[in-house]
Amino acid sequence: MLYALCFLLFMVGLYCAVVKKNMVKIVIGLAIMEYAVNLFLIMLGYRAGGAAPIIDRTYLEVGTDKVAANFINTSVDPLPQALVLTAIVISLGSLALIISICIRIYGKYGTFDITEIRRLKG
Amino acid sequence: MRPKGEISHGVKGMTVIVKTVASWVKVLIFLFGINIVLFGHLTPGGGFAGGVILASSYVLLMLAFGREFAEENLPLPLASKLDCLGAFMFALIAVLGVVFGGSFFLNFLFQKYLPGHALHLVSAGIIPLCNIAIGLKVGASLFLVILMLSVSCKGTE
Repeated sequence: MLYALCFLLFMVGLYCAVVKKNMVKIVIGLAIMEYAVNLFLIMLGYRAGGAAPIIDRTYLEVGTDKVAANFINTSVDPLPQALVLTAIVISLGSLALIISICIRIYGKYGTFDITEIRRLKG
Repeated sequence: MRPKGEISHGVKGMTVIVKTVASWVKVLIFLFGINIVLFGHLTPGGGFAGGVILASSYVLLMLAFGREFAEENLPLPLASKLDCLGAFMFALIAVLGVVFGGSFFLNFLFQKYLPGHALHLVSAGIIPLCNIAIGLKVGASLFLVILMLSVSCKGTE
């Protein structure tokens, strides 16, 4: 059920990216699609009633086998979280590229409306 | 005649209060970023998040003092060289996995030379070195990106 809501958020972003005519609104639609994908990846690793995947150094005195078994049984999956951290920073970089293209198009054509940008101006 | 409070607004950064506080705080933000990068194998974070924090300390410098001051503090060729150095260090660590072990990106420090104790700073092999390289690269790249975006903006020369 929650995954369906994630998909709905992705569809909202896709609608913005496809239908809108203002360039900044298209960029916002792309950002909403990226949020939806990151949220979906984090929700995949969730476990109901799980704990944060952090082991304190003082817990290791019991013995690493018991600590590892306890960790596997009770905590949420940390691997999607590390993956999504990387993906967020990468999307920041691509967003900076898209915004700079928008700024250059505005400098050349004087408008943010994509229906008025028809021909490539030298 | 402009009122007295407006003298240091405008093109060369912000007011005296912002400049004073920013000169204290930017060092703390930089240190915090180094902590997130260096302890990436123990606490949440790692190279990417720590690199963003390192870049944000320079963005604070750029906002509070003006773009020219930040450009003198970290010149563009140096930032570009740090960027390439980060990427090169990462590739070098991966190739050293072939030299010292058998396969690409092998964790040769953990398996042979420096295993370390679990949950201490010196542990997990080559992962802290990879974190340092990634933090350097991401910090320099984001600083360059935001500097270049501020050049094209006509309002704040």
